[in-house]
Parts: sequence; C-alpha cells; structure tokens
Amino acid sequence: MDLIAILQSKPVLIGLHLGLAIIGIDAFLWLFGKLRGHGSQSQKSHFVPATIGAASFVLSWIIGGYYYVVYYGAQVKPAIKSGLAPWAHNIVMETKEHIFLFIIPLAMTVVFITLLNKENMERLKLRRLAGYLSLTIVILGLLIGAFGFIISAAARWGAAN
Amino acid sequence: MSRTRLVIASSYAAIVTITFVTIITIWAELAAPLKDWLKIFSGHHWTSKSVLSVLVYAVAAAVLYKVFPEPNDGRLRQALFLLLWSAVLGVIALTVFYTGHHFEFFS
Repeated sequence: MDLIAILQSKPVLIGLHLGLAIIGIDAFLWLFGKLRGHGSQSQKSHFVPATIGAASFVLSWIIGGYYYVVYYGAQVKPAIKSGLAPWAHNIVMETKEHIFLFIIPLAMTVVFITLLNKENMERLKLRRLAGYLSLTIVILGLLIGAFGFIISAAARWGAAN
Repeated sequence: MSRTRLVIASSYAAIVTITFVTIITIWAELAAPLKDWLKIFSGHHWTSKSVLSVLVYAVAAAVLYKVFPEPNDGRLRQALFLLLWSAVLGVIALTVFYTGHHFEFFS
C-alpha cells in the first residue's frame, strides 16, 4: 500500500478530519483567550491563531468532505439506517454536514477582524464581539464533534446488530 | 485596501452564505428536482452546496466591499452582531427541520 492509498483510507481520513478540527477549535479558543486577556494585544498575536484556526477548518472540511462523499454514503450510512438508530443519520448527520458550512465564512470574518490594528480594534469597540464570534466558532466545532461521536457510535451499533 | 470595509463586507457576505445554505438545504429536502440538480451539478448534493457556498461568500464579499462606504462604529458592530445571531438561528433552523423531517412532521 503506497502513501496516497494510506492517506485515502477511512481511519486516516477520519483522524485527519477530527485532528484538524480540534486544532481549529483550539486556535479559536486561544484567540478568545487573547481577546479577553490583558497580555500581548498586538495585531500579530490575534492574526496568528485566527489564521491557524481558519486554515485548519478549511483542511478539515476538504478531508471530511472527501471521506463523506467517497465512503460515508456507500458504507456507513446504510449501516446506520438499517440499525437501531436511523435518526443518527437523518437528524444528526444531516445537520452536522450542513452547519459545518457555516464555520468557514465565520472563521474568515474573524481573520479579517484580526487584520485591524490595536487602535482600530479599540476605537471600533470590536474586541468583545470578536471574542464572541471566536467562541461561537469554538461551540459550533464542539457541537459538530459531539455529532460526529454520535454518528460513529450509531455506525458501530448498526454494524453490530 | 480598507480593512474595516473588508470586515463589514465579510460579515454581511457570511450572513448571506449562512442564509443561503440554510434555505437551499431545507428547500432541496422538500423539492426533489432541486436536490437532483444539486447532485448533477457536482456529483453530490453536499459538494454542490459546498462549492456554491464558497462562490456565494466570495462574490457577496467582493460586491459588498465595492458597495459599502467606510463603516462607522455602530454599523460594524451591528453587522457582527447579526452574523453571530444568523449562525445561531441557522443551527436551530436546520436542527429543528431535520428533526421534524425525520418524525414526518412536514408530510
């Protein structure tokens, strides 16, 4: 098995999708802490975590999307739908796959806010709202992660029954 | 490039994108021809929504950047506040819709 085949395998794709999403969540949590704190408030100290977070979510989206299109519909969805918890696909997966699409424009907007220098952030009184937007991205990421756990559990449950 | 105009353009473009994703998702579940078109567009309905959401965000941000004047403090905060609530309402709308769809509340 070559490297490309390993990278395209189901466990690696799920691991990368989840791992990158966790980096995205942590980066926006880091930014939230920066925006709430009294430490370094340079423009760069805001821009770096926002960019890491947005880039991680974009990669997680692409890798998760590849897994979803190639494997989920053919192999995972039938196991869930024929199992004891078809609602895990009908409600949880359907909601998860679409609310993920909200994260990218939210994250890009936060990245653009972090392009503002300290004086503009203070003058426009954006610090608190930027913090709330970062926290919203964190909460959405955690919600999507919890949804993913339910879907994985339902697939294993479906396959076992 | 004005960074404050970029922020307000991105905020409203994100609101438009979230609204677009929410509406097209619900609409496609209720109208089979739309879902079929989304499947044909890229081979998978979700991929089509992903591609379209990127296009909607990019085009809306570019157009709104050109259209908006330099925003004042209140207008910028209002845009970000609306964005925050549009994300919350979008999540609620999709969760409620798919729950109702599963339990056949809409048929």
